[in-house]
Amino acid sequence: MDGAQPARAPIGLPRIFAAFLRLGCTSFGGGTAGWLYRDMVLKRGWLDEPTFLSDLALGQAIPGSIGVNLTVQIGQRLCGPAGAVVAIVGLLAGPFAIMLAIGAAYAGFGEHRILQQMLDGVAAAVIGLTFATGLHSLTHSRPSLAGVTLAAATVVCVGVLRWPMLPVVAVLAPLGIALALIQPRPR
Amino acid sequence: MSEGIGGSLIALGLVFAPLSLLSFGGGNAVIADIAQQSIAVYHWTSEREFADLFALSRAAPGPGSMLATLIGWKVAGTPGALIATLAYYLPSALLVFGAARVWGRWRGSQWHAAIERGLAPIAAGLFVSGGIVVLRASPAGWPVWAAAIVTTAALLRWPRLHPVPLLLAGAALFGLLALSP
Repeated sequence: MDGAQPARAPIGLPRIFAAFLRLGCTSFGGGTAGWLYRDMVLKRGWLDEPTFLSDLALGQAIPGSIGVNLTVQIGQRLCGPAGAVVAIVGLLAGPFAIMLAIGAAYAGFGEHRILQQMLDGVAAAVIGLTFATGLHSLTHSRPSLAGVTLAAATVVCVGVLRWPMLPVVAVLAPLGIALALIQPRPR
Repeated sequence: MSEGIGGSLIALGLVFAPLSLLSFGGGNAVIADIAQQSIAVYHWTSEREFADLFALSRAAPGPGSMLATLIGWKVAGTPGALIATLAYYLPSALLVFGAARVWGRWRGSQWHAAIERGLAPIAAGLFVSGGIVVLRASPAGWPVWAAAIVTTAALLRWPRLHPVPLLLAGAALFGLLALSP
């Protein structure tokens, strides 16, 4: 995979840290992958598009937020393991500090009724986002009947019955993979 | 007192580290479990507090959800936030780091495609489950359900809607409703 990207001078750790620090602080509303693409590929040219897409594919296959998964890979490409560490710390440092500030503010003002109502409004929108993302990905991938059944089973077990997700996923995931192996991909 | 903090830090690590490895598609996949652990098992938050922290964590910038950080902070201050963040991000980050090294070899293989396709409906189901669990935890009742459904419908109809205006609209709408007698 390293051969796919044109050789470049290694980028210093401070620059990597600064770039990801800025990204972490400005990526509002999710979609970190988009922010990363615009910054890393289009603006800075620190990696080319095929490499980014390959990293994106791996990042989506592995658990964890896509922003973090991409950051690890990009950081590693730019400056090895140290680059990965510095990139991750940079990405999370700003949001971490902001979370602490928000936590402190909430501890001070959280009981206020109007604030709680506003947070309910935000929560409703976020839940809508979550639903839409899940449903969109489900319809987008044109799943088989078995796929839809697996999705529904997951919703019933985890969302309705509130079973812990580890045993549910431990049972359903192998089923899903086995089904995917025996079913031909619709082209 | 320090024993209590130590126990809390360990509990935070034990809760969030496994969830790191289960968060297929991001933090949304494990929201249901985070809610269950925080509210019912460890009593770190009430339902009301969880709903508030959930909303706050998504209103701020950053990848996925820094909800773990916020809960860790609530449980044990800054050390709690640190431990929860490390526990939540490190395992999956290490996994990505290791997998990136072998990625080139089996990318495009039958296994990779099958794993992606096989897990996709389950990940989608986990997302929907997370939304349901948070809705059920929200003490505000039917208005939140209604607003969530309207938001879902809007996003399915116009997928390119930017999320931040939606969050602001939700806050404004509910805030205004709260002002009315």
